[in-house]
Amino acid sequence: MNTRLLTLITLTAALGACSSMPERNSDLDRAQGRLRSAQNDAQVAQLAPDELKQASDTLVMAEKAWSDNEPKSKVDHLAYMGAQRVVVAQESASSRASQAVIAGAAAERDRMRLQQRTAEADRARQQLASAEQSNANKTAALAQADAATLREQARADSSDARANALAQQLQELNAKKTERGYVVTLQDVLFDTGQARLMPESAGFLARLADAFKRNASLTAAIEGYTDSVGGSNANYELSDRRANAVKTALMSLGVRDEQLTVRGFGENNPVASNDTVDGRQMNRRVEIVFGSQSGLVLAK
Amino acid sequence: MKNLFRIDVLHPAGLAAVACTALLTLAGCASTPPHSDAHMAVAQAAVEHANTPGTSQDAPMELQLATSKLVAARTALADKNYERADQLAEEVQIDAKVAELHAQSARSRRAAQESQAAAAALRDEISRNTTR
Repeated sequence: MNTRLLTLITLTAALGACSSMPERNSDLDRAQGRLRSAQNDAQVAQLAPDELKQASDTLVMAEKAWSDNEPKSKVDHLAYMGAQRVVVAQESASSRASQAVIAGAAAERDRMRLQQRTAEADRARQQLASAEQSNANKTAALAQADAATLREQARADSSDARANALAQQLQELNAKKTERGYVVTLQDVLFDTGQARLMPESAGFLARLADAFKRNASLTAAIEGYTDSVGGSNANYELSDRRANAVKTALMSLGVRDEQLTVRGFGENNPVASNDTVDGRQMNRRVEIVFGSQSGLVLAK
Repeated sequence: MKNLFRIDVLHPAGLAAVACTALLTLAGCASTPPHSDAHMAVAQAAVEHANTPGTSQDAPMELQLATSKLVAARTALADKNYERADQLAEEVQIDAKVAELHAQSARSRRAAQESQAAAAALRDEISRNTTR
């Protein structure tokens, strides 16, 4: 009776095992859950795909063992192996992620050091450049100052030289230093009697005079005509004016520029001698060429 | 004589062959299968490889599991439960590997933190230097 019952129970259990699906293995279910969460972890999926594949393959074997009704111990073992392989995948991924962080941090340090050194080098270069620029500026300023001094000196020298040369030329023309400046006088004998026409004897003198004007472009002069007191005042003005203009015309025909010369007749004014004597009257009949102070000529005080 | 000779030569050989076969068959049942020995050796090597100061420090529980499972595998082997012994030997290998990898990932994590801290320190230093 007992034996028969036991046999029946065993038979029923065996039939049940065959006909219905076996009970789910809880270890296998847990292992599958861990695999899924690892597969859903982007870090594990990306950094440990091979390890994840091995875990997955192991759990496929476990599922097959379970559905083939292999012994629970074998299913448990395969489930355990699969679960541990999931851990292997997770730990491998974690290590690799950390290594990536280390590499990234090292690269960042290198980059920062490089930037620092570059910045330092740039600063040094800028300082050097600005120092050089400053030196160059100082040197240029000094050179400019020197050049300006030299130019000033040269200008002064040439100005002096010109003035000296002019003074020399005027001396040769028998110019006299007066308080109005240098004055050159053309005497009456160089004109036709009572006329404004210049005598041929005046040619050499006028040529030297014209030469002085041409050598000194800034030299200006007032050409002033004078007469003695004989004759009418108006006629004297007119004659003195014509004689002065005749000198200007002669000088311009020799190349002197118009703007260097002004002309004025003073008639019997400003006599240089007495009109009471023949000699005095002759000295008063004259044309004076008065050199202006614009010429740069050093005037006698 | 010929017969005898044959017996003399062949018989011990045949006997030995029979004895060997019998012994091997017996050994197959009675003593450890060679592949179980191999599995055990690999498992032991895996535990020895994993048993470093670093692993002891960073993965003591995992290492302990592998070590105790190796003992269980040896016990199963001694009990002639070869299938269980093989399974346990295989589990010892994966457990030892997990212990090593766990310790390694812990070390890497610390190194990563130190590396990031060093980068941050350098960044601070540079920003101090440049603002100075």
